[in-house]
Amino acid sequence: MKIKWFYRWEFFLLLLFIVEIAIFGWISPGFLHVNNLLFSMNDFMFISIAAIPMTLVIISGGIDVSIGSIMGLCSIILGVSWSHGVNVWLAVIIAIFCGLAAGLFNGLIILYSRVQPLVVTLGSMFLFSGLALVISGGSKASGYEGISGFPDAFVQLGNGSFLGVPNPVWFLFVMTAAFCTLLHFMKYGRSVYLVGINSKAALYSGLRIKWISLSTYILSGLGGGLSGILLTSYFSSARADLGSEAVLPVITAVVLGGTSIIGGRGSIAGTVLASIVIGFMQYGLQAIGLTSEQASIVIGAMLILSVMARQSSFQKVMQWFRQRKSNSSDLMY
Amino acid sequence: MKVLSRLLQIREASILLFIFLFVGCIGIVNPAFTSGDSLGLILKSSMILLVLAVGQSFVLLTANIDVSVGSTMGLSAAVCGILLSHGVSGYLAVGAALVIGLCIGAANGLGVSFFRIPSIIMTLGTLGIVRGYMLFYTEGRWIEDIPHYFKELSAAAFLGIQLPVWIGGIAAVLAFIFLSRFSVGRYFYAVGDNEAGARLIGLPVRFITVLAFTFSGLSASIAACLFVMNIGFVPNQTGSGIELQVIAAAVLGGVSLSGGQGSLFGAALGAIFLEVINHSLVFLKVPAYWNNAISGFLLLLIVTGDSRFQLWLKGNGKKKKQEQEDMNRSKLPKSGEDGYEDKVVL
Repeated sequence: MKIKWFYRWEFFLLLLFIVEIAIFGWISPGFLHVNNLLFSMNDFMFISIAAIPMTLVIISGGIDVSIGSIMGLCSIILGVSWSHGVNVWLAVIIAIFCGLAAGLFNGLIILYSRVQPLVVTLGSMFLFSGLALVISGGSKASGYEGISGFPDAFVQLGNGSFLGVPNPVWFLFVMTAAFCTLLHFMKYGRSVYLVGINSKAALYSGLRIKWISLSTYILSGLGGGLSGILLTSYFSSARADLGSEAVLPVITAVVLGGTSIIGGRGSIAGTVLASIVIGFMQYGLQAIGLTSEQASIVIGAMLILSVMARQSSFQKVMQWFRQRKSNSSDLMY
Repeated sequence: MKVLSRLLQIREASILLFIFLFVGCIGIVNPAFTSGDSLGLILKSSMILLVLAVGQSFVLLTANIDVSVGSTMGLSAAVCGILLSHGVSGYLAVGAALVIGLCIGAANGLGVSFFRIPSIIMTLGTLGIVRGYMLFYTEGRWIEDIPHYFKELSAAAFLGIQLPVWIGGIAAVLAFIFLSRFSVGRYFYAVGDNEAGARLIGLPVRFITVLAFTFSGLSASIAACLFVMNIGFVPNQTGSGIELQVIAAAVLGGVSLSGGQGSLFGAALGAIFLEVINHSLVFLKVPAYWNNAISGFLLLLIVTGDSRFQLWLKGNGKKKKQEQEDMNRSKLPKSGEDGYEDKVVL
């Protein structure tokens, strides 16, 4: 019983993480400094923070490809409302509400039209990124020009550190703890799984499945909003195209973390670990001298190979272990 | 009335109606839009999306998805461009591009069918790999010195129709005939509708899946050649992000993401419609940054409207039946009230 966690997917990811750090440390010893490792996490925290609520959406059988556009929309709304004289913290709250509203919009359209989530969020992806461009074009910052010059307190949100740990990493801790509790230790989380496994069964067992799938999209909008704010603070500039390339890394992190793309299976810990593995991979390859686009070769290969491993051999190995165990226990009795 | 409602249930008819209405409305606001020149230009530039949407439909019909077409198109365009700029003959350059598309598509298909990797993950992976490799291959440079004769091909006309339109049209018609008049073509629908059933009656399910992805890859490289012809240079970002537009076009044309439903004709019309929307904004004198917002809004509006409309049509037909059922049965929840109509299969 005790070695059960030993052959979980999360354990494999942890192993992958350690091997990865060891290899990069071996190639360039400067990589291994704790401070270097911690502060390089700032570069990809926005992926992790968006991927955590996305896990819920995918577990419940949906998908949200508009997350990158929500980041850009929230960022530009924060910037525009600040540049119109709103207090910066009030602007942050407005941006969070904007993310929630975007998620609510997605969820309502999916429920009302009964069109597949991929199609609806594809449409809203164009809509949100377009709205972000319109807002930034309509205000003083024309086109892709960013709004910058935020007060120092806001910039510290994404760049500062507390107790030697950078603020974005604290955000990740809080988000992970909150969503772990929500998904793994609360009734709500169980019902998200059931909706993903069999929505009819969930309906007949009296769950409010419409509310559950709606709420996952709202949470995903919240994730997009939070990472948009974090990105704005990190770059200390609000732009409409922030996060426009984030969709695929976010979904990659969720899937690599062991969440089944057809729903019903997955965990928050897996998603967080996978996003960290991907992030460090990108960082390490860049340290070696590749551009981030070139690093996508390794990440793409990693995605395919790991899913292939999980799909075939990993499960066979697990089965073999279980059979051996059950055989030996049969012999004992 | 019955005929009309039957006709409206055919997705191609409704999308064609939408296109005519839309073009008519824009034409009233700005008559220049409906002139032969501008419509011809739109048709020519929509060929890239059209070819990609036709290729994507094969994959969607088998209940899979291919998000790697943008990268495949980028790499094929880069290879075609570099070969051309080194003075290789046009036939050879186009041939090389096509072979690359075939290989990437076949690799996707093998991964999905033999290694049982979900198609969205497999193609997400190849999306990254191929895009990264393209940047290695071009060393991050744009390819600009395409020979003149190749660029002029896009203006070459036969019977008053330009070459890109011929290529796109012939590819679409061949694919349409293959899919609707050959038994192998019908297998795509069978595999997408019920994979286990298709296997049990002895269809080569794995082969069909590989074939579908191969067609999609091939369509990406045909689109790449059209791109090199039309645009005349190959930027680094060629084709990035187009995969989502392609899927949107196919869905707009009535191809179902859960497989087994839809036609190539619809997908082609969907691609033309998306392009018409994009071009119409210029004629309405709307600033270019409104582009995404309006096409996103229209996509949502049409897809939602169509889905509600089809539900309403179905409901009308079943009304009598249901009234009887309601009399007989106590109040059990209706099936189909649980969120989406179909289970999402990616």
